Amino acid sequence: MESYRSKDQLKICTKCILPETFPGIKFNEAGVCNHCQREESYTARGKERKADYREKLDELVANVKGNAPTYDAIMAYSGGKDSSYTMKLLKEQYDLRILAFTFDNHFLSPSAKENIEKVTAALQIDHVNFMPQWPLMKSVFATAARKEVFAKAALLRASSVCTACITMVKSLVLKTALEMDIPLLAFGWSPGQAPIQSAIMKTNAAIIRENQKVLRRIFADQFGNTTQSYFIPDTYYELYGGRFPYNIHPLAFFDYEEETIARELKTIGWNPPTDTDTSSTNCLLNAFANQCHLEQYGFHPYVLEIANMVRQGIIPREVGIQKIYTEQDNEMVAYAREKLGIVSDE
Amino acid sequence: MGYLETVRGYVIENFLFGDDSGLEEDTSFLESGIIDSTGILELIQFIEETYDIRVEDEELVPENLDSLKNVVQFLERKLNRGKPNKESIG
Repeated sequence: MESYRSKDQLKICTKCILPETFPGIKFNEAGVCNHCQREESYTARGKERKADYREKLDELVANVKGNAPTYDAIMAYSGGKDSSYTMKLLKEQYDLRILAFTFDNHFLSPSAKENIEKVTAALQIDHVNFMPQWPLMKSVFATAARKEVFAKAALLRASSVCTACITMVKSLVLKTALEMDIPLLAFGWSPGQAPIQSAIMKTNAAIIRENQKVLRRIFADQFGNTTQSYFIPDTYYELYGGRFPYNIHPLAFFDYEEETIARELKTIGWNPPTDTDTSSTNCLLNAFANQCHLEQYGFHPYVLEIANMVRQGIIPREVGIQKIYTEQDNEMVAYAREKLGIVSDE
Repeated sequence: MGYLETVRGYVIENFLFGDDSGLEEDTSFLESGIIDSTGILELIQFIEETYDIRVEDEELVPENLDSLKNVVQFLERKLNRGKPNKESIG
């Protein structure tokens, strides 16, 4: 187990915010990390790429809008800032028929629930709330918090707890999209969470099938067979082979400025939550998940995302440092630990 | 540097953190759990940037991306229009 070190005890990239504890990191003589060096040319072309992707979304929407039997898009909707803003963009700029799909993991904060109600009402969007059984979710989160469940690379981008949750979300929204013949699958990934190349991408049934096979095995081994119903049944690949939707995450190529987003969201009733930690706007489990990850791996699970955003000039480096190198809220960590039935010295 | 060496280096550095044990040229990235579906997107970003190509939607299939061998053969087809390449493997 890694012991967590504070910012003052760590070497941090002089350009982004990745620490020396980040797996595979290397620094040059100027203290710049290999990620910054590798992505320099790519970052320089960012503006041009974003314009291309906006055109690409315009074309895609023109092709699919109104053609599907029910909805044009299903939105993986957590009630947080980024998914609320994404949904607002898709509704107001493209006038899409959207089905909002919320995965209530039993840790949705009261303010997130309030925001969900207000935003779906203001945008006049149909909403489904999916709440899996608590004993199962308790077991999933408690296990993921303490065991190495997922591939190493997945844990660079998110904690094990978040990876378990988002895996279920992604499977369920895709499953629903297939069943309801919805051509667009929308996510509110921030510009640091996923590469722009994947911001508009047709899902490939064969790749999904291979990936699902691995995930189903992991979930069955670690969390039991009850979890299998959250994944894509094998029969769907033949049954709905022609229906695999486009994944879109528009925040990768729309302007992303936190103050503007907050201002825009206020107009549809979304308020910044006061009951969550600094890296989430919807989840009461997040601080605990971050703390577990920090203790196990020695780096913050959001550091790659925030480093990407610093590199892209979306947030200032000092803001990124503050977001990442601030201690987790002890009360929130204790709240989740108690709810999951984990005693503190486990 | 050849396609194989370049792609292998990227996968080892970014997904295996220097530990290449178990990574053969025909190891399935997805089935072995080395790369997940988001990781595949990162791999696409890497090859697009490195080789200045665009991977089209219809090219996003396991046959092109799910092992070192598949990626190398895909790059050979894409960049050399099917001509034999001295980096060929398998």
